[in-house]
Amino acid sequence: MTGRFRFLAAFAAAACLSAAGTAYAYHTSFVADSCNYAAPTPTSSITRDGSTTVALRARWEGYQWAGGCWNDNDRDDSPGDPVETPGTGGEGPDCSGFTFKVWRESEKTSDAGFYQWGLFRFVHGPYTAQSFKNGAGAPNTTYSKSALIRMDALASDGHVGLIYAKNPDGSDQIIEAKGEAYGTNIWTRTYRGSSSYGGARRFGWSS
Amino acid sequence: MTMTTRTIRRRRTTVAWLVAGALAGGVAVPLVDATAAFGPSGDVPASAVEGTHLPPLLTVVGESVELEYDVHCLPAGDMDRPCRAEGAVYLRPGDRGAFREIRLARAPDGRLTATVPREISGSGTGFSYYAEVEDAGTGATTTLPSAGAAAPQRSYSLLRPVEVSLGAHQFGSTRTADARVVEARWGNGARDVGLEEGRDLTPIGGSSFQVAREGAVHLLDEANRRVLRWRPDATAPTSVPLPIRGTLADLAVADDGSLTVLETTADPGEAPLLRVFGAGGELVGSTEIAERAAQVRLGPEGIPFVLQHPSAQWMRVADDDRHLLPPRAQQATGRPGRPVADGGEVIVLRRGDEVLVARVDGRSVERAWRVTSETPLAEVQLAEPVGDRLVLVVRTYTDAHDEFLVLVLDERGLVDRFSVQPFDWAETAPLSRFRLAAGSLYQLGSTPAGLFVDRFDLEVGR
Repeated sequence: MTGRFRFLAAFAAAACLSAAGTAYAYHTSFVADSCNYAAPTPTSSITRDGSTTVALRARWEGYQWAGGCWNDNDRDDSPGDPVETPGTGGEGPDCSGFTFKVWRESEKTSDAGFYQWGLFRFVHGPYTAQSFKNGAGAPNTTYSKSALIRMDALASDGHVGLIYAKNPDGSDQIIEAKGEAYGTNIWTRTYRGSSSYGGARRFGWSS
Repeated sequence: MTMTTRTIRRRRTTVAWLVAGALAGGVAVPLVDATAAFGPSGDVPASAVEGTHLPPLLTVVGESVELEYDVHCLPAGDMDRPCRAEGAVYLRPGDRGAFREIRLARAPDGRLTATVPREISGSGTGFSYYAEVEDAGTGATTTLPSAGAAAPQRSYSLLRPVEVSLGAHQFGSTRTADARVVEARWGNGARDVGLEEGRDLTPIGGSSFQVAREGAVHLLDEANRRVLRWRPDATAPTSVPLPIRGTLADLAVADDGSLTVLETTADPGEAPLLRVFGAGGELVGSTEIAERAAQVRLGPEGIPFVLQHPSAQWMRVADDDRHLLPPRAQQATGRPGRPVADGGEVIVLRRGDEVLVARVDGRSVERAWRVTSETPLAEVQLAEPVGDRLVLVVRTYTDAHDEFLVLVLDERGLVDRFSVQPFDWAETAPLSRFRLAAGSLYQLGSTPAGLFVDRFDLEVGR
């Protein structure tokens, strides 16, 4: 698409949106337009490599409180949602929904099986950051922080992130759904040493 | 990384045209609407591959050295698939001469590994290396570190590091600060420091700071988009407004008062920015950061260096004339240590429950320490040479407790040691909780009531 064509397309789109009035405040219709409620695919196992791939596909996408559906176009398709408002219909997971989906968990806390959820499947799961910290649910357990490895979690009462890699200085690279202003991505963090954070692990990794 | 960078650039150009078109349409269209109009429409990036690697920046002579790479493939479909990665590492003794290729083997856990031959790892000057890996399924490739042979990873060999054994840490016996030099409440007033707000967000505020030699404190109040500057003995700060993003960022302040702000989060479709401002807040320049940005520090002559991942290298972000460098030029300057004022560099490696730290001058190690602990060690917050000594601040932790250990080291071992409470109620830039200035250590701390900077006077030369 040439620059001139993009310019004209945007011109036309802007004019149409203006004529349509102010139906768009801050909400996007991302969930309504793009997401589904398909059943997950049960799988026989889970690997850290496979879960890393699932996590990386959320990288550069948005953040949505209580959300759980995103595409893979490397941008937040619903930026600027008011953080106080749940259910704005925007793109992206929140921190616990992201962990749930990457860890391939069931919506039933008594079920420790493995379920592959599609990117566009809107699902958050039954866990909060605090419940991951406490090892709640059949698939989850608390774990010593010094022994955590890739795709294990560091969770506080209000946030949870997944370990992506270790850094030479002793910090970690964490992949996480950080917040509306941050989206979902990888950052250097020092959660491991902080007593606000506990270690959490999903049961059943085959490798 | 190259593929990702190209993708970002293409999208930025597209967005620029789209925004220009919307504005020229003569209508006031909120940006979110313009974005939504071009929503999730199959703009799926090409398949790519990404690797991570914990480099053995420092080794002790006689150790066997294993290189390990985690390689992640990014398929374009909705389902994951096994990553059929393969590749080679290129090694040489020291930092000159031809590289020798060694194919990477696949370990049972999926990692790619190679053992460094003894004739290379046993070299008195250490070794240098880089790796090239490929997703055999798609042909996508990546190089670690990113500049490959132009700026390979460097590992130094330690002949006889000074041994420091800390034993088991006793929590609860922390030192009280000698002075509280800054204190501010959370808020948006002239004397307050702002907190970022949001669901799921731990408290974030006052993300970085620096202390000048004469004791002036600069605090990055990123939530209020400004730097607050406290002169010594002043009761109130002066404010320097800055057009920054307002999320977790790092700060470095030059002797002339100029301010360097490293953003670690980018606007949609863009890379994080490093911005340089004059002492009054006027924008001097900005450049994109090549990789994931971890921290910024000023080297000799006030040149900014940024620690970047996955290369795990300190990259120079300006040339000798202080012109900011574009990403590819940054990658070509990667080095393992942080440049310090005397022209050398300090290299840190935490491995397990020990920290190796070395002062390196050019090609040789001047002095090195190996600090071991029976209590787990987390991140090294500060490693700063002061004359013949080195001040090291590292977090020690259990699953229930944590404190920062402050160690003053010299050629014989431990000169001084104490611990301080973490005071980390609010999140800051990850490695910005301590600064050293004129023989004193400064800690950026916070509680639910507000933020403060404490001073601890050390037994080191000024």
